[in-house]
Amino acid sequence: MRARRFLSSMRDQAGAVDETFGALRVGTDLVPVAHVAESVAEFGDRYVGRVYTAHEVSCCQGTPSVVAAGLAARFAAKEATIKVLRPVDHRPDWRSIEVRRDPAGSCVLHLSDEAARLAEVQGISNWAVSLTHEAGMAAAVVVAVCDGDSAGSGGGRSDSEKER
Amino acid sequence: MEAQIRQILSEQARLPVDIGDLDDDADLYQAGMTSHASVSVMLALEDAFDIEFPESMLRKGTFESVSAITAALTTLVGAPAE
Repeated sequence: MRARRFLSSMRDQAGAVDETFGALRVGTDLVPVAHVAESVAEFGDRYVGRVYTAHEVSCCQGTPSVVAAGLAARFAAKEATIKVLRPVDHRPDWRSIEVRRDPAGSCVLHLSDEAARLAEVQGISNWAVSLTHEAGMAAAVVVAVCDGDSAGSGGGRSDSEKER
Repeated sequence: MEAQIRQILSEQARLPVDIGDLDDDADLYQAGMTSHASVSVMLALEDAFDIEFPESMLRKGTFESVSAITAALTTLVGAPAE
């Protein structure tokens, strides 16, 4: 009963946030760095070129393990973004979701082509991304603010209510 | 073609189950294939069949089962030999 009241309270608060800022969407993903390292070793430039932009590659320089960790974090960000975009079937080109790093080291998302179109259709204009890698795993969290009036068919108040 | 596809899946899909235990129509994502693994599957298929998947075929459904992959490859390389 107490848990039910707590959940109800949280939903009311989420509703207040929606009215003020629009609905929030969250995506997250976890990628083993070794998997990326093996793909780089086996497929080389074909793998890198099909998934990552030139800017992303330029941000991931150093030893093979450093490169793989950086690429794995960026792949996690791309997949986390797709979870936010919720494409029905056609997956946007991986390179249309780009992690850009400014000189101060902060990362931002830049969408183009199909990814940008999906975001526009669903009224998503504000994005935030955070990357991390540690102990052989890389992860990313993506948060987006979605205009409540054009949230699209997949729109919902709580992402936690949907398993993706 | 199907045997070659299954061989590539066994090497690249990182499934927690034996590919031989899955039916042709079994959902590979449900079986544990990640998005990243699907990229490796795609590249290995391109190498094996000397093709390139066009952007229009880069749908989740293209790689979701042995049957779906067979259908996609049939479109790209022609009908499989009997």
